Amino acid sequence: MFKNYIMVAVRNLVKNKLYSAINIVGLAVGLAACVMIALFVKDELSYDTQWAKADSLYRLHTTFTLPGRAAIPTVRAPGPVKSQILEYFPEEIAATTRFNSMNPVLRYEGKVVSEQIFWTDPETADLFDFNVVAGDIHKALNDNSSLAVNETFAKRYFGDADPIGKVVTLTNYQIERDYKITAVFEDLPNNTVLDIQALAKIDEADFTGQTWEFGEWYSTNNYLFFELKEGADVGVITSQLNTFINASAPPSGGEGQVTDFMQFSVQALTDIQLYPFGRNGSEMKPTGSMTSVIIFVSIAVLILLIACINFMNLATAKSTQRAREVALRKVLGAKRGQLVTQFLGETVMVAVMGLVLGIVLVEVFLGPFSAFVGKELAFDYGDGLTISVLVGLVLFVGTIGGVYPALVLSGFLPATVLKANKSAETNGSAALRNGLVVVQFAISIGLIIATSAVFGQRWYATSMDPGFNKDNLMIIRNVGRAGAQQNQDAFRREVLRLPGVVSAAYSSDSPASGNESNRNVMREGADPATESVLIGTHSVDYEFFDTYEIELLKGRIYSRDFATDGTPAIPSDAEAQATQGTLIINEAASRRLGFTSVEEAVGSRVRMGRNPASMEIIAVIRDMQYQSLRRVMRPEMYLLNRADFRTLTVKYTGSPAPVASAIEGVWRTMMPDVPFRHDFVDTVMAAEFEQESQQSVLLAVFAGLAIVIACLGLYGLASFTAERRTKEIGIRKVMGATVFDIVRLLIWQFSKPVLLANVIAWPIVVYGLVTWLETFPYRLEAWWLIIFCLSAGTIALSIAWVTVGGNAASVARTNPIKALRYE
Amino acid sequence: MLKLHNLSKYYRTDEVETVALNSVNIEIESGEFVAIMGPSGCGKSTLLNIIGMLDNPSSGEYVFMGEDVAGYSEAKLANIRKQNIGFIFQSFNLIDELTVAENIELALLYHNIPSKIRKERVAHVMDKVGIAHRAKHMPSQLSGGQQQRVAVARAVVGDQAMILADEPTGNLDSAHGQEVMEMLQSLNEEGTTIVMVTHSPSHADYARRTINLFDGHVVTENLRAAQ
Repeated sequence: MFKNYIMVAVRNLVKNKLYSAINIVGLAVGLAACVMIALFVKDELSYDTQWAKADSLYRLHTTFTLPGRAAIPTVRAPGPVKSQILEYFPEEIAATTRFNSMNPVLRYEGKVVSEQIFWTDPETADLFDFNVVAGDIHKALNDNSSLAVNETFAKRYFGDADPIGKVVTLTNYQIERDYKITAVFEDLPNNTVLDIQALAKIDEADFTGQTWEFGEWYSTNNYLFFELKEGADVGVITSQLNTFINASAPPSGGEGQVTDFMQFSVQALTDIQLYPFGRNGSEMKPTGSMTSVIIFVSIAVLILLIACINFMNLATAKSTQRAREVALRKVLGAKRGQLVTQFLGETVMVAVMGLVLGIVLVEVFLGPFSAFVGKELAFDYGDGLTISVLVGLVLFVGTIGGVYPALVLSGFLPATVLKANKSAETNGSAALRNGLVVVQFAISIGLIIATSAVFGQRWYATSMDPGFNKDNLMIIRNVGRAGAQQNQDAFRREVLRLPGVVSAAYSSDSPASGNESNRNVMREGADPATESVLIGTHSVDYEFFDTYEIELLKGRIYSRDFATDGTPAIPSDAEAQATQGTLIINEAASRRLGFTSVEEAVGSRVRMGRNPASMEIIAVIRDMQYQSLRRVMRPEMYLLNRADFRTLTVKYTGSPAPVASAIEGVWRTMMPDVPFRHDFVDTVMAAEFEQESQQSVLLAVFAGLAIVIACLGLYGLASFTAERRTKEIGIRKVMGATVFDIVRLLIWQFSKPVLLANVIAWPIVVYGLVTWLETFPYRLEAWWLIIFCLSAGTIALSIAWVTVGGNAASVARTNPIKALRYE
Repeated sequence: MLKLHNLSKYYRTDEVETVALNSVNIEIESGEFVAIMGPSGCGKSTLLNIIGMLDNPSSGEYVFMGEDVAGYSEAKLANIRKQNIGFIFQSFNLIDELTVAENIELALLYHNIPSKIRKERVAHVMDKVGIAHRAKHMPSQLSGGQQQRVAVARAVVGDQAMILADEPTGNLDSAHGQEVMEMLQSLNEEGTTIVMVTHSPSHADYARRTINLFDGHVVTENLRAAQ
């Protein structure tokens, strides 16, 4: 009996090659996509679970709530909190440690490079179990002239030689010191939010000139982790953080409590990857998000659903052709249960074939996929869980795909089937198929619209007018470092002489740096306690506005012709009340300061914080997205303050490469001890959206897959329908219908479900996308969604037409008597 | 009306060549009622299909209303066919998903006739064959005789000059068969040319001429005096 089932199943597969291929390929693609997404999601969920103390490690976050500004969340904390929080919560916290990222200049055997190194506390070695392959990390982190480095770092400088004991020279701020490599650890795996290649011990005595790094309560430069004592409740800490701040922080100078503008919060280490807290770019490396995990899981489910629908549709469609076989089996004594088993067995068999092909696809495409998402994904055949999930999936798909036809077929009354001598298509199964096609296309259309919106938003964000001309701008970094700072004027002069250089301007930040630097500003005569407002600060050079081509709304830019231009330093004695200076603000700052027009602002005087100098506003510029395209435009001022220059922006013409190498040549002759680093403004700005861009490509790929699978199904269904309607087509042709009439007839039959799918998909997707777009400060206007909907509808319809049309045409061309002769 | 000269039809497979029609010469005048008879496999249906331009002859001449159509393209043939020829099949060949009225209307659908006129003509022809009370019914709800009446109505609704009937009574009991034959006869009296394939000598008697086919040859032609 069983042998007979297998034989019939195999013969059916071979006889209906097209259906079999569509079923198997569609299912394989669906399963492969699911497996790859599952591996991706599994990896996302595994972040930082590998640490021995994963469950007891937390990170302290700081949020600033400044009047008139949106809250500024940061994932870092002030340096002094490290020891103070430990003392404040002796029952709850076992240990704390800090990581502070710096880019010292590293010298080794003639190489001069700026390397990212984390300064950290000795407790790091206890909290995080780095896999040490040589040396002793505890020793390394207890010595302020030792380094613990990873294997890649060691290989980069020392090749195959034993790195332990090798000495490199680091220059960090004013301190130049030899560091001995005393520990080497394995490169951190991909699935941790830590991204560390080298560690040095924090010796606060080294940073007395830079108290903001570790010594100030209102500067947050440290990732601060703590270990919760066994049995302690993290809730106790969270509930008392405000009391802790107000008890521990030094007076801020303003009125009220410290917690009015500064709060702490706590996040478990294992939550960091999927529930990002701070602003984009403030983590050691880009994090993922639960939203994208949910999106990808949904896509996997949808793709699998589409593949299952194909399976069901083709199985029910095909099954009606086997009515005779079923009837005969019944006449010969088959019980209903046996028939159900037979048909379910067949679909499970096809599903198993799909699985095998799907695993082949995973093997082929997992490599490129891993590389694209920047993970090391591997498919582990030995993993019991993976295997049981896959087997379960196949049984599920096979059963879902087979259960309806199995039940319908086995329910046929043999007498009717045999007497009617035709396919026993029930209205129910046809309606079900149409319904499922609608579902498939609604999903596909929804995915197309969502993908377009994601691309559209990215395009909008990256092509948005930032308020300055971002083209042909090169950023030269490291100009504020010791060894470069004193040469700034001479270096700029030399750069301006180079061919291709149009202009060059120093400034404190470059675009998209995301730096947050603010000062209190108030209008002359205002009450400092109540009327002072916080305004974002950049330090700029005379040439800054011309180099960036920034629009001046009113007034004049800084000029060397005015001796008073600039920001006076804070005088040491109170008598210097009479000093004067000038500043340039943007429109938002003008409004924030209470000016009703830019005309009123220009010529007015303000004071900044503790600086007694009277500052004249000499110009108001148009608002620009200098800080970051991802944030809301803030009130800003642009001070002429030469002490603070850290980048040089060069406007060039022609090809950038020769200009860059010429500038590097000048740099190397003038400042050989400082590493040369350069970037381009447009690429730096685009990099802010790198993650979105990667995800939108993934989304597009999977949406494409979903459509391909849906179309495979539609093609199978269309050819089946054409086959079933052969007689009708024959009659119509005898009545004078042309090939075109027939093709139109069949195409229209399949256009109806696609049109209905549009009607269903549009409102749902548009609602979701409008909600999603609202999370962006600068977003695509909603009417674009209408265009996306219409295009997605057109695309889906055209794909359906092409899919159905070819098949319909070949059917329509056959001689009608062939269809009518054998009734 | 039409003239077949030395017309042959072969079916070829890799191994055998089957001759369905062998140098057939037939002439049919306008307004004639011709019956084609012969045993199974003698080529009756092939002949009818070629006359109806549903199939192409392998060789020979086919002159239809003064035009040699043997080499015409499919589209051109389809056009001549829909203007001039109506079909009635043994198995009725109604579309299951369409109502009686819609099945009849189908024959006008490909003629660029405005909807209103189509409806009028369908109503008229349904009256004529006595099926008007079943206009909204599906074919599966009708008896065989009623279904064939629908098929006849469909064949004549376009005012075709010629009706080709392939065993129109083969699936019917004798009473219903009689009905259909009388309908064809009255159509013929109104001037429609009718060519009918049949196994039944009594039904062949309705025709004025009988052509007997055997193994692809015309063996005899019997003329009957007008009744």
